[in-house]
Amino acid sequence: MLVSVLRKLVRAVAVLLLVSFATFTLMYGNGPGIARAVLGTNATDATVRAEVAKLGLDRPLLVQYGDWLKGVVTGDFGESFFTGQSVSSALSSRVPVTLTLIVLTILLTAVVSVLVGVAAAVRGGWIDRVVQFLSVAGAAVPPFIVAIGLVFAFAVSFRAFPATGYVSPDQSPTGWIESVTLPVLALLVAAIANSAAQFRGAILDTLSQDFVRTLRARGIPESKVVFRHVLRNAAGPGLTVLSLQTLGLIGGAVFIEQVFALPGLGELSNGSAQRGDVPMVMGCVLVTIVIVLVVNLLGDLVTAAVNPKARTR
Amino acid sequence: MRRTTRSALAVTTTMSLAGLAALTGCTSAGTTSGSSGGARTTLTLGMTQDIQGWDPTSQPAYQGWAASAVYDSLIRCGANGQPEPDVATSWTFAPNNMGVTAHLRSGMRFSDGSPVDAAAVKANFEYAKKHGGSAARFADMTVTTPDKSTVKITLSKPNPLLTARLCEVRMGSPRFLASGKTNKAPVGSGPYTLDASATTAGSTYTFTKNDAYWDSKRFPYKKLVIKVITNETAAINALKTDQIDGSLITQATYSQAEAAGLKVQWQKSEVTRLLITDHLGKKVPALGNVDVRRAMNMVFDKEAIAKNLYRGLASPTAQIFRAGTQARINGLKDPYPYDVEAAKALMAKAGYAKGFTLEMPYMQGQGLDALMPVVKQQLGLINIKVKQVTLSGPNAIGELLSGKYPVPMWALGNYADSRQDIADYVLPDGIWNVEHQQDPTVNKLWNTISSKTSEQSAKDQQALNQYVIDQAWFVPMVDTGTIYASNPEVKINKSTDPAGLHPQLWDFQ
Repeated sequence: MLVSVLRKLVRAVAVLLLVSFATFTLMYGNGPGIARAVLGTNATDATVRAEVAKLGLDRPLLVQYGDWLKGVVTGDFGESFFTGQSVSSALSSRVPVTLTLIVLTILLTAVVSVLVGVAAAVRGGWIDRVVQFLSVAGAAVPPFIVAIGLVFAFAVSFRAFPATGYVSPDQSPTGWIESVTLPVLALLVAAIANSAAQFRGAILDTLSQDFVRTLRARGIPESKVVFRHVLRNAAGPGLTVLSLQTLGLIGGAVFIEQVFALPGLGELSNGSAQRGDVPMVMGCVLVTIVIVLVVNLLGDLVTAAVNPKARTR
Repeated sequence: MRRTTRSALAVTTTMSLAGLAALTGCTSAGTTSGSSGGARTTLTLGMTQDIQGWDPTSQPAYQGWAASAVYDSLIRCGANGQPEPDVATSWTFAPNNMGVTAHLRSGMRFSDGSPVDAAAVKANFEYAKKHGGSAARFADMTVTTPDKSTVKITLSKPNPLLTARLCEVRMGSPRFLASGKTNKAPVGSGPYTLDASATTAGSTYTFTKNDAYWDSKRFPYKKLVIKVITNETAAINALKTDQIDGSLITQATYSQAEAAGLKVQWQKSEVTRLLITDHLGKKVPALGNVDVRRAMNMVFDKEAIAKNLYRGLASPTAQIFRAGTQARINGLKDPYPYDVEAAKALMAKAGYAKGFTLEMPYMQGQGLDALMPVVKQQLGLINIKVKQVTLSGPNAIGELLSGKYPVPMWALGNYADSRQDIADYVLPDGIWNVEHQQDPTVNKLWNTISSKTSEQSAKDQQALNQYVIDQAWFVPMVDTGTIYASNPEVKINKSTDPAGLHPQLWDFQ
């Protein structure tokens, strides 16, 4: 298991280098454009040239990338070309917002999807049909449409929640809950719709296997059969779906952060990429890759922990 | 067996729903701009774009509320571009726009305790000459300090835009300017100071009132909060739920704002236009023919564009200058009324009946997306095939200004002082005259305009406007502008912004 984790970590570093270099290459070569965007339309060509040199955008690609990488290793992610804010300080305020959305959504998705999946698979009948219908419907509606509906209903009409903004939990725990409720709900709809159907399928598959029949024949209570044995065997595909959901949520969060004006990573990376703020974009990319890698690693570890058969892989 | 399963399900379902309920229930309404005892103490403004750090030379005029909160200028520019007191209480302009002598207010201090004196003003002008995108605008200024409360600025040649330039330089403490850390937090002498503990860069900026400020009464709010809300739907929702007191919106949400009972102001501040900058026909020979340029003007039904595309929040125009400015020709009858057949005849007369192909750049997401197809279609009626070049991202502005494209499409803002419009859009070295083509008539008229005051030069400015119209250097379509929606409880004076874009910070009462 340890060797497997180490192997994954080495692979993770390789992915990190590859993706970061690819992003750097894409952002590269636009020095005058970036300098013009920094300085505004009043800047003369000479001022733009000077800014290109000041920002070091006239150096070869490999030198720029090498410097950035050296900085990252020493904990210096650089400063925004536009605001002068240090990338690490920007990330430290933005990452918690996005992580809050993702973690809350995925935890609630896991709980609700398992329950709904179990109910649909075990009970069948109308519950199953309703779950299947809602799964398709929920997955078909984009989260930002759900978000707009939620804001209209619960923020504008009933004023039950704030329409925009984020409150940090250390500032006000209740304010924090209020500020993340609608964004999380908006993300939850599609996430649960996708995951519940997958859990249902996995549980149905497992329920039809011989060992379940044997367990039932031995008089093991149905709840034990379902929650101890079936769920454990169905965990593999379910967790894979959850880890894929988590990765999808990183993208989905961009839209949700916009609709709710949340100062998250999505807003930061989107705005920075639009402006050509290379250090900020690279910081966002780095954090995103790390999240992706951690989620994958965690997915593998949890699968292995739940299902011993998976540990041999 | 079944019952046990159901019970287990029920328990876990209840638990998770309880979790959801904890998240979804028991909440109070969204926070509002603070008020205490009936008197509003907090002003919360939405800002549709973030500020670019705190360096005094990178402060924007557009939505520059954060800068106005913390920085002063030597003078302020009023709604008509006229100079008003700020750090300077009085001033005397040298003849022919060759400089100014300003007398400073006594007793003003920056937030680090250092005095706002002549040396500080000089330091700021010297700093502006070397930093930021507008550095070239101040290069010609020589600043001397006859005494602690007098600043003398001299120029080597007349600058008709001197007043506007004096308003542009934001004043920071000299120690702050020399620190090399101008982007960390501002050190100015403005009506507010930044509360760093309640600020999250890129999201929320909080300011506390500086009670010692010389013009304190003009800023009634004890606390100012500026929230960056880039998404228009989010902004309108924040307005509807009292999370913010004001924000710029667009035509798309105008009716929503009205329906929600918000106060809505429309400021006419820009003209949507095609800029035929290749009027000598160097890139596209056909554009060198005035009949072709006139024909291009005649294929747009401006009334319909104003009514349908701009939802009535625009008015047809045949000139590029704002109403009320010196260059504007009042009562001008559109010399190029909508007439496709006449346009075709002009194209034939010019020898271009079969038309030509034109690469036209436009920037996505800047309110021109609906207009671009109309432009393509209408120019197609006179066989001008438009190859649309869609620009976005960091390269967009650079591309538009590069001179690569002979006819950019853009909605350019108008200034209170139309000489600034002439300088930016008409003069050979104007930013938006992207091919920088020389014209003796323009140069001659500008020379006359340069050494006069705005009022004295009105006749020449209008002559220049008429010349540009006759030459059809632009295809002006509609006078449009910005829309500011606000909480009806907040009193907002008529905007004093010289660019007419939105209320200034001191307009909120």
